[in-house]
Amino acid sequence: GKAAEPKPAFTDEAVQTLLYKMTGIDLHKVFRPVKKELKPPRYKLMTEAQLQEATRKAIEEAKEKLVMPPVLDEREPIDDVLAEDKFLEGTETAKYIFTDLTYSTPHRERFIVVREPNGVLRKATWEERDRMIQIFFPKEGRRVIPPVLFKDEHLGNVFQQDRHEDLLNMCIAQFEPDSPDYIRVHHRTYDDIDKHAKYDLLRSTRHFGGMVWYLVNRKRTDGLLIDMINRDLLDDATSLITLYHMLHPECQSAKEAKEGKLQGVDLIKVFVKTESQREGYIQLALQAYEEAMATSTAS
Amino acid sequence: GSRLLKGYHGGHVVIRFALGGCANRPFFRIVAAHSRRARDGKYLEQLGCLDPLPNAHGEKVAGLNLERLRYWLGSGAQLSRPAEKLLGLAGFLPLHPMTVTGAERLRQRRRREGQAGTAPADGPGTAP
Repeated sequence: GKAAEPKPAFTDEAVQTLLYKMTGIDLHKVFRPVKKELKPPRYKLMTEAQLQEATRKAIEEAKEKLVMPPVLDEREPIDDVLAEDKFLEGTETAKYIFTDLTYSTPHRERFIVVREPNGVLRKATWEERDRMIQIFFPKEGRRVIPPVLFKDEHLGNVFQQDRHEDLLNMCIAQFEPDSPDYIRVHHRTYDDIDKHAKYDLLRSTRHFGGMVWYLVNRKRTDGLLIDMINRDLLDDATSLITLYHMLHPECQSAKEAKEGKLQGVDLIKVFVKTESQREGYIQLALQAYEEAMATSTAS
Repeated sequence: GSRLLKGYHGGHVVIRFALGGCANRPFFRIVAAHSRRARDGKYLEQLGCLDPLPNAHGEKVAGLNLERLRYWLGSGAQLSRPAEKLLGLAGFLPLHPMTVTGAERLRQRRRREGQAGTAPADGPGTAP
């Protein structure tokens, strides 16, 4: 049989460039006014050249803001016993949790151990670790006990108010990227966006790449494709399909595309014929787009 | 003269607990200080803390700056008995023998009370 290539990871250069292109840069949205202290507006008088320079610098800063947060697998629970001293049973009523406060050790390598009332000395679980590190080395925007907002029953309220981006920013501040809570909140948000086709909420934010990665891995790209075609973002649609072929090289449309070296609209048509569930919708959207193109070039 | 600037003749560095907090709410700081200083007085360096009351998750939180602790121990500091017991519980030092003895004594006392409770008719001095 043929040797399977290693599956492309989220951090690969090619994948990152595709996702970055799809994210788009809408300066008005990236530098949307954030609630801060009230200050009177400052006006500057600039020449054309200075304005271009300022726009270029703004684009650089926007690139910084659009760096995608990491997508990692869920972390393995820690389950390590260091010592068992059964004769200590009954002396204490509560467990002791000891944290190493050496300033120079990275938080991942910090020693945090728990002495249970039954005498067992074990390494602390991930939740205990995160709590202790937040108590002794507080990080801004993170609470010691995660807010109740991140529980499943309350996420629905946030989604109804269309505040997916704020929720994801809070989630990044609160949890580590490989914690199960982080992954669960992100997946719920992406599912809700996919269900209600609210892709534009995340476009031009740093969460767009993660969402596209999630959807492509689970082969649920139809809604996103329709949205892109409706907004006349054909380049984004082609990059989406290229990414799909990179991740699923064994599918029908990937083989056809590689044989025919298709580009642009033909790539989309092949993809729609073989891989999508909602063929009808996508064909309609494509037709509408082509009609619009025809009328605009004719006039 | 100021109490802070006091110098001593003799004495040594100890690592011990300094009590702080409020009424009915103790809080210990693990501190390296001269042995002749007041318990809560001027210390050389704070090496950690211990909250003796359990928190909402039922745990007693303790922090230990192990790097500085090793420095002071290497420079010849002594430990007070509660500090030794705490470090034994943490696993940094071997378990203190009094911890083991204390556990034994507690077990014996509980056994004696249990026997005294269940068999009051027995004469005193039941052997454990």
